[in-house]
Amino acid sequence: MSLCLDTEQLRILKWRINSKGIAACIGPPGCGKTTTGSALAVKLVAEGITDKLLLVAYTNAAVNEFAWEICNIMGPTAAREYCIRTGNRAGIDCELPIEFSINAERIRAKKIVLCTTLSLKRLSSYMRFDNMIIDEAGIERLEHLLAPFVLGVNQLNAFQTNNRNCNSINNLIDLASSCGIVATVIGDPKQSRPMGLEEYDRSAIEWVLKYGPKDTLKITHRLPDKLSGLVNDFARYDGLRSSPDIASRRLILDKSPNPIYREIIDPEEVVTWLNINGEEKALGQSSWANDIEAKVCAKICRELRYITKKSIAVVTRFSEQRRIITRYVQRSGLLNIKVSTTTGALGTQADIVLFSLVRNNPERIVGQAGTLQDLNVAISRAKEKLIIVGNFDTMLNGWSRLPSNSRYGYKSPSRRLAQLIDSKYGKLINPPSVICE
Amino acid sequence: MSISVRQLYRGLEKTQTHLVQSTEIATASMCQHLFKLSYPYGVSRGERDYLIANAVHDIMSIAIHGPITENWHYKTKQSKEITQKIVRDSSSIIENILKDTKEYASREARKIPETFDQDVRERFEGLVTGVAKKLMKKFEQPNRTFSEITITNPQKHHEGRIDAILEFSNGYGLLDWKSYDIKKANGSGKERWQLISNILLSNYRYTGDEDDWSKFRFASIVYHGGAYMPRLPIQEKHIGKIKEDRLFSYRTLCGEKVYAQKPKFCPVCDTNAEGCSDCRFYRDDARMAFAGQLPDNYRKITGQLFGNRYKVLEERAETHRHKYVASTMIEAYGERTAIDELKKYGIIHTGYKFVSADDTIVLFRKDDDETFLEPKKILRIIGKEENIPLLSCVSEQATVIRVEYCDLILNFRSKATVERAKLQLFDLPLVMIRDEINLTRRMLEPLHKFHRLAADVLIRKECYDDLK
Repeated sequence: MSLCLDTEQLRILKWRINSKGIAACIGPPGCGKTTTGSALAVKLVAEGITDKLLLVAYTNAAVNEFAWEICNIMGPTAAREYCIRTGNRAGIDCELPIEFSINAERIRAKKIVLCTTLSLKRLSSYMRFDNMIIDEAGIERLEHLLAPFVLGVNQLNAFQTNNRNCNSINNLIDLASSCGIVATVIGDPKQSRPMGLEEYDRSAIEWVLKYGPKDTLKITHRLPDKLSGLVNDFARYDGLRSSPDIASRRLILDKSPNPIYREIIDPEEVVTWLNINGEEKALGQSSWANDIEAKVCAKICRELRYITKKSIAVVTRFSEQRRIITRYVQRSGLLNIKVSTTTGALGTQADIVLFSLVRNNPERIVGQAGTLQDLNVAISRAKEKLIIVGNFDTMLNGWSRLPSNSRYGYKSPSRRLAQLIDSKYGKLINPPSVICE
Repeated sequence: MSISVRQLYRGLEKTQTHLVQSTEIATASMCQHLFKLSYPYGVSRGERDYLIANAVHDIMSIAIHGPITENWHYKTKQSKEITQKIVRDSSSIIENILKDTKEYASREARKIPETFDQDVRERFEGLVTGVAKKLMKKFEQPNRTFSEITITNPQKHHEGRIDAILEFSNGYGLLDWKSYDIKKANGSGKERWQLISNILLSNYRYTGDEDDWSKFRFASIVYHGGAYMPRLPIQEKHIGKIKEDRLFSYRTLCGEKVYAQKPKFCPVCDTNAEGCSDCRFYRDDARMAFAGQLPDNYRKITGQLFGNRYKVLEERAETHRHKYVASTMIEAYGERTAIDELKKYGIIHTGYKFVSADDTIVLFRKDDDETFLEPKKILRIIGKEENIPLLSCVSEQATVIRVEYCDLILNFRSKATVERAKLQLFDLPLVMIRDEINLTRRMLEPLHKFHRLAADVLIRKECYDDLK
């Protein structure tokens, strides 16, 4: 077993091994949520505390990542012996050394079962888990949380509770805990909102945070000092800091950049805001795109690819902008550049990240592009360099969408981000005109 | 253009874009409590595996285009010989479907019954006998056939999937295959209500008005060895009941306070069938709530659960929003203008033509490389028929696998779907519209289970005794 955990992760591990009931573990960006969850799973099983454990997440990508982490901790042979991946075959990573099966007998024979929330229906309703770890709880909703809980109910506990005084049970989390469900719910409400309708008020992890105990990881292993400071101040994590070994990490280039791009790519500046005045365009049922920003992103990617082999990713809030950037990137013949929306970028990282803001209008309405969660995800994917491409003034004075029953909007969190970058954590530059052509 | 597509999407947020399926209307027609059991409560009734029935449906959906219509003999007295001929001519279709279904079942770790092949063949033969014995005797050979058509009537919030439609020069006939067992169709049960609901949809398909019966010739539930045909004209009170129950279902989905009526005889509760204990539980729950007998903490917890149930249902309504937007635009500007406008926003995609198919993967191509499509998006591929409302035209669902310049690669649900699409869809001009998967039941079920758990833990047994 090979594992190296920081002090925060060890504290959470110790806490969850010695406690029952349902609890939340908040993991800001790069703090190793999946590592902590996987380590907890392995320890619970290895020490015989748990006989049958369920590891569940909303997306197949997250479950696969969990599976890889467990393989790294246990080694492939042990992982094959103890774990099984189930659910929808189309979503599995074929290179995983863990067996995939939907056969109830095969699943029953293993100690750790990995599955997506929506595939839980395929598990036999008679299967019982005495411990469970639920990842990505920030994008899940109450019903997603209850789906694995159903498989952890101990009917005897429920019966005993009915015979005792049950007036103290006042919410769903208490009810689930009183029925013998043991679960660690991992996520970060400041990075994601529940999937689906905008009106969903509370994510799965927020349900647990409201009624159950919680702990927060505070050491990031991804973000260098300036970025961790920016993310901490922006999302108000109350003490997020970089791990000492990566705090002073800076971008190292193989070649020096073209003078046009020198200021934009400056390796000493971790965060650069390229103030672009591109025109926003409404596309699709509710999406937006900004053609100039898309072109600029593609040009910077081309230059970066020429001067470094580091991983590059482009992040944007809007799916239409992602589509347009992808097309420009493909037309430039660039390979291995990942373009994703902020939702798709959850759980991913890259050495250099470009963030296209898209929105730019005289009313300075930034709408969904200015939500705390989306901005937080976008600025926290980079390991060495973050380049923000978009109109600074719109963000600095941004308004969230006006509520239908009011003449007044809400001040967008984008204001705080713009202020923090301008005053403390980054550099605002105007682009050379040749880039915007 | 005075209505903007984006404004329409935003405007529709405030209205309800629910669609009620014909099968749900039929459930409500049997007992309104039964409908509520599924929505909003989330009780899933029955774990029955429909592997055999689905295979038979797939075979019928392909055979109706070839062997059945080709061997159609009007007023025949040799139904036995015709049946055997159709079965012989369908042998390759049967073999392919059997193979594909078994492959699918083993992939999904579903149990394949030992007598699977035999059962499928028997049931297929039984249905063909029903067609030859009853339908061929009464009706001439159809000019054209369609199978597995999804019809959406957004104005009436109604959607349904019809097993087969036979088109004649003077109207249409509607067929429903009863393939899940070999019993006779029940003339007073769910199947008949579903049939009448589907007739309303078919009327809409052919005349644009569900109450226009001018094109309707007959409707039939084809069962093993026979066919049930409701007496014509369909009684007004039956049509009225369907409309009433459709409104009830729609209003329930919208979260309105609608009181369910228990009929004199409910086929579930009055026969102690599966699901009756859940139904009684919710009815008792409502009675205790009305009498103020529920503990405060139980009311609080179940209140939270109900809140979430209606949010899940709202999300179900969301999945139908594209259809409502398309329908509103068509109503306002006519089909051609509306399609052009929706194309600009990436809601509708046209110009693709079928190129080739390999297994379930199908390649389409168009002349230009402008596209809004992206992998993983789900599409309803509609074959635009002349003088038929867009959302009533023949269609199939598929998922985008890849988009490369002018090429579009889609994954269809099964080989049978591709086969069917080749027969009735790919030759028509194709219109693709965004679609979504409905996961409502899967989302509601845990909420139901926790509702029952809350009752087990928080309500003392004596309270139920008092109720009795």
